[in-house]
Amino acid sequence: MSLTHLNPRGEAHMVDVADKPESRREATASGHIRMRPATLALLVDGGLPKGDVLATARIAGIQAAKRTHELIPLCHALPLSKVAIDFHLDEAASRVEVSATCRLNGRTGVEMEALTAVSVACLTLYDMCKAVDKDMEIGAIHLDTKTGGKSGDYRREPAASEAFAGAAGESPIVTGQGQSGEVSLGSRCATNAPCIRVKCLAELRERLGVGEVTVPLDSLESSDVAGLKAALKTLDPRFSRLDEGRVLCAVNQVMAGDATPVTSEDEVAFFPPVTGG
Amino acid sequence: MIRVQETPFDAGAEQRALLAGRTDIGAVVSFTGLVRDFNESPEVTALTLEHYPGMTESALEGIVAEAGARWPLDGVRVIHRIGRLAPGDPIVLVVVASAHRRAAFEACDFIMDFLKTRAPFWKKEHATGGDYWVSERDSDHQDARRWQE
Repeated sequence: MSLTHLNPRGEAHMVDVADKPESRREATASGHIRMRPATLALLVDGGLPKGDVLATARIAGIQAAKRTHELIPLCHALPLSKVAIDFHLDEAASRVEVSATCRLNGRTGVEMEALTAVSVACLTLYDMCKAVDKDMEIGAIHLDTKTGGKSGDYRREPAASEAFAGAAGESPIVTGQGQSGEVSLGSRCATNAPCIRVKCLAELRERLGVGEVTVPLDSLESSDVAGLKAALKTLDPRFSRLDEGRVLCAVNQVMAGDATPVTSEDEVAFFPPVTGG
Repeated sequence: MIRVQETPFDAGAEQRALLAGRTDIGAVVSFTGLVRDFNESPEVTALTLEHYPGMTESALEGIVAEAGARWPLDGVRVIHRIGRLAPGDPIVLVVVASAHRRAAFEACDFIMDFLKTRAPFWKKEHATGGDYWVSERDSDHQDARRWQE
């Protein structure tokens, strides 16, 4: 697979689509903006100082889809036949989920338009609500589906985000609001290969974005905690944070050090200094 | 007896249960830790406590067993809450019973010092300025080291 926006000399160029056949293209993207429950309540009640937040964000998303080629350097200007922006208010997660669908009959895909629409709709929501909440966080902007064109149809798998977020994803192990504060017990290795189950707890989990991950035993150069740390760093550079500050370790729920041996099916937890009581 | 729970506890009821039917106990010391509305920031609105199920219980059992080896104790109860708590809520209860007051006072102090430095609990404070994880305190480690001298 190669990058279509680079020519053989590695320079950025705009793909010539004149000879591509026209087909019906459609793409849907989504993302969310997380805010305080009180901000979401104001948004629902229409109590925000800048007025009708969702209507404004919808118009902003549509405008942004139409102007994507002005923002993203190698995008073509496209005569979109449809742009639809939808909002779903998720009070349990205290966020607004935004989705955008773009469509046209043409020679190039519309996923960049859908992604841009979601991004700008989220930014507009931020702008409309920032007077009461500056902690809002925009996240998880991604392509959901894409149809038409040479590369064929695409549908995002539910597990796609876990491919780079370790096993953390959005599984309910975080301590966040309303959660029990417990960490779920790890699942066993899926395959028959010998594995070590690794958990990251509390602040360390949040900083790494990884709650649980399984590591094949044979990826360890030495069968101890030091070897496991090295294997984790090879797996994902974020694990270099295991060396930052004081990070404690337990093997099978007993405090351990770098020299503690590990073996198949062991549960190894990394966590910050304890602060109970 | 050791419990890790989300629900509140009644310190009086726990102490009565520990003493029920006993006439050989001469002293009982009860310590309750509460959520303060000021800590690392001046306006703490809530606290979330996370723990490491399994290891938490065994760590607390180890601390209570160590106290039992150092002092002649007639009963110990440790309850630690997890989940989201508000200022004023009780977080932790340690009740220690013994024939004599010195053992009860010291063992209760010992258990709290080691609970704070060894049991896998983590506090996240929710304050008006945002959320943050509470840092460990050097004074807690100094307190725990007293018992090794």
